[in-house]
Amino acid sequence: MTDPTPAAGLPLEGVRVLSNATVWAGPSATLHLADLGADVIEIESIQHMNRTRMPARHIAPELMEGPTGALFVDRDASEGFWNRNANFNYGKRGHRSVTLNLTDPEGLELFHDLVRISDVFLENNAADVVERLGIGFETLSELNPRLVMGRFPGFGISGPYRNFKGYAPTMEAAAGHTYLRGYRDSDPSWTPGSGHGDPNAGVHLAFAIQAALFARERTGRGQLIDLSHVEAVLHHLAYAFMDYSMNRRVQGTWGNRHPSNAPNGFFPCAGDDEWIGIAVPSDEAFAALAEAMGQPELAADPRFGEAVLRHRHQDDLEPLVAEWTRRHPARGLREQLQAAGIPAAEVLPPEALRDDPQLLARGFWVEVEHPAAGRHHYPAPVGRLERHPLRIRGPAPLLGQHNEAVLKGLLGVSDARYEGLRERQVIGDAYLESAT
Amino acid sequence: MADPGGALAGIAILDLTQGIAGPYCTKLFSDYGADVLKVERPGSGDPSRRAGPFPDDVPHPERSGLFLDLNTGKRSLTLNLKAETGQRILRHLAREADLVVESFRPGTLARLGLDSAALDDANPAATLVSISNFGQSGPYRDLEADDMLVYALSGGQAVTGVPGREPNKLGLYAPLFYAGATAATIAFGAFMAARRSGAGERVDLSIHEVLATSMDRAAQNLMSLEYSGAAHRTIEAHHRASAFPGGVYGGQLPCKDGYITIMCYPHWWDRFCRMIGRPDLIDDASYVERLQDPEFGPEIDALFLPWVLERTKAEVMQQAQSHGVPVAALHTMADIFDDPQLRERAYFTPLDHPEAGRLEYPGPPFKLSETPASIRRAPLLGEHTSEVLTGRLGYSPQEAVVLRQRGVV
Repeated sequence: MTDPTPAAGLPLEGVRVLSNATVWAGPSATLHLADLGADVIEIESIQHMNRTRMPARHIAPELMEGPTGALFVDRDASEGFWNRNANFNYGKRGHRSVTLNLTDPEGLELFHDLVRISDVFLENNAADVVERLGIGFETLSELNPRLVMGRFPGFGISGPYRNFKGYAPTMEAAAGHTYLRGYRDSDPSWTPGSGHGDPNAGVHLAFAIQAALFARERTGRGQLIDLSHVEAVLHHLAYAFMDYSMNRRVQGTWGNRHPSNAPNGFFPCAGDDEWIGIAVPSDEAFAALAEAMGQPELAADPRFGEAVLRHRHQDDLEPLVAEWTRRHPARGLREQLQAAGIPAAEVLPPEALRDDPQLLARGFWVEVEHPAAGRHHYPAPVGRLERHPLRIRGPAPLLGQHNEAVLKGLLGVSDARYEGLRERQVIGDAYLESAT
Repeated sequence: MADPGGALAGIAILDLTQGIAGPYCTKLFSDYGADVLKVERPGSGDPSRRAGPFPDDVPHPERSGLFLDLNTGKRSLTLNLKAETGQRILRHLAREADLVVESFRPGTLARLGLDSAALDDANPAATLVSISNFGQSGPYRDLEADDMLVYALSGGQAVTGVPGREPNKLGLYAPLFYAGATAATIAFGAFMAARRSGAGERVDLSIHEVLATSMDRAAQNLMSLEYSGAAHRTIEAHHRASAFPGGVYGGQLPCKDGYITIMCYPHWWDRFCRMIGRPDLIDDASYVERLQDPEFGPEIDALFLPWVLERTKAEVMQQAQSHGVPVAALHTMADIFDDPQLRERAYFTPLDHPEAGRLEYPGPPFKLSETPASIRRAPLLGEHTSEVLTGRLGYSPQEAVVLRQRGVV
């Protein structure tokens, strides 16, 4: 089995992170920390299934034929599924895994021991969970005043919504993003989902952890980070936020349009479900587009000659563009329009990225062997560092794979005690039948 | 000046970014205490000064909402980087920076006299972070693109829409803000590594790669393709009980005064029934046995919709959450400004600005218990030019006037 490779020279070399950060937001934080060189130990248990590994036992077999099942190697969600889930194996690569039943006094004690020798603990359970388990900041901070604790339940850890449950789509709605998306010609019940808030919360937390570690050098003390997904996303809506702040105006959806440029949107291309995005930023670019369309006279059309007019007459303009684009393949259009200096790009489906020339040229795909999932391609760490190159430091851990290394190696647990822990199922490497 | 109590006090950033992704990256550093010196083009400044929104819709370079929010706490220096003197001053400024962050088109900064080697000469410990649409290399490097188009090429856009229709872009400029936050995270790491080794780092951050690896479905779709060969497309926004991972009942529905969204797992059927006041259905086999049936969605609607339509979005959210069902209102900005959660957490940050007046701004994206963020107003164009020239750079007031006359600053 493979352990994460040493972090020598990497930015977070020597930083130990305990993580109970799951679903999508959790790995979006710890993925960066592990890629940057932190020793991230995922704290799991065999009593409760990690949501990033997905509780496949509870999912109806017919659903395994859809996108849910596709996350498992060859759609095999039989026992051991927890080691073969794509989300976990991507987001938790280069991590270590320890299972500890925190509701057992000895499990809790071992966790406390780990806290004493760690720099960071981060978690995104429901807001009331950590206090209940005896792992709240006050408790842990007494054990280790240098501990940085990052908490990011959906709405943050205070306020009237602190115990509200949230997932990506509901958090996005609460933050005002859903209302600002969608099609211009249909009501919000048809607005397609996005999971934007989850990775956003995670990446902000990865920044926050580093900020708190930096401050610790000066203050000598750790601190508590309280991140609300809503608060972290609202910046992304700054245009609408500031408009309300300034003018008390409530922005609705722009659809695919732009507040001042036109045309701006996706247009159909030859073939099925093929689209080209075109974003015309200037009168010059529009003249070039009209030329490319073989209708140079459009640039002199009183409806379209200037940006303001084009913006006003988009309903007239868009069908003309679509009529032209639908006769041509998307990639060819992109090449033609880009050559003419017009911002344009085809909508690439995920499967096109495997052979995407840009990603291939930049070494985006890295082959990694995982002991249970086999050999697959994974995206390289984002951000190319020339002098301290980031790398995938190893596959994601099997459930409880590092129990021995961490408990015996780091905490000095004796062989006899370790066996006792196993027997009492405080630790283990497979979910119990009764696991929730 | 930076708040001496901020988490990042002591970090000096030379900010050559403009637009959204780069300025959001440096804003994060600025709001948490770093000293960020923003270099702007004389005359027009950062293009986001023209982006709006503006009070009463009257354009003014000091009153653009996007600029005001993206540049809080930074200082502004104007510098003509096409002039040789301007380039010399730039290298001089780089001497005192821990991080130089730029978002020019690839190759531009080198033409402005600050390539990697020049930065090594000026300040071997400084880290250079370059943020660009597609990275500093590769065949897409020089493509003309904005947030919508980079997202189109990243795999995320193809799965965002209603089947049979054109894709639907994310709201406003969301992908760029996300890329900016990711850039800040990586930049921070690079700075830490450089500080330890003494050798300034060079970071090439591609927004395209950030979006392609985001766990906003993009990475998940790439990985399921690897793991099982499944190709994903758009899924229905509504009645997606059968289509969403996990067999969830989910989607947006109209209510009395707007819209709400729900995401309810089958194992919360009891909560759902209590929420709508139908505990009698909890053990009703004709429902229970079909909870994961792809055709069941409309029947849940028939139970849920009448309940929802009688209530406001705030009531639906409150009552559903009291039963442990994840429901949220589709908040408008007016709702956001009245939101009791955000108000109680003191999220909104009132700031006075000499041109834009007193406005409420978005607060910090996360709260630090010991070294809290300090959000300070954005600078006027070139507001700190004289101070930097005569202070940090040691020009005499006379020389500063000459530089101004010659259009360097």
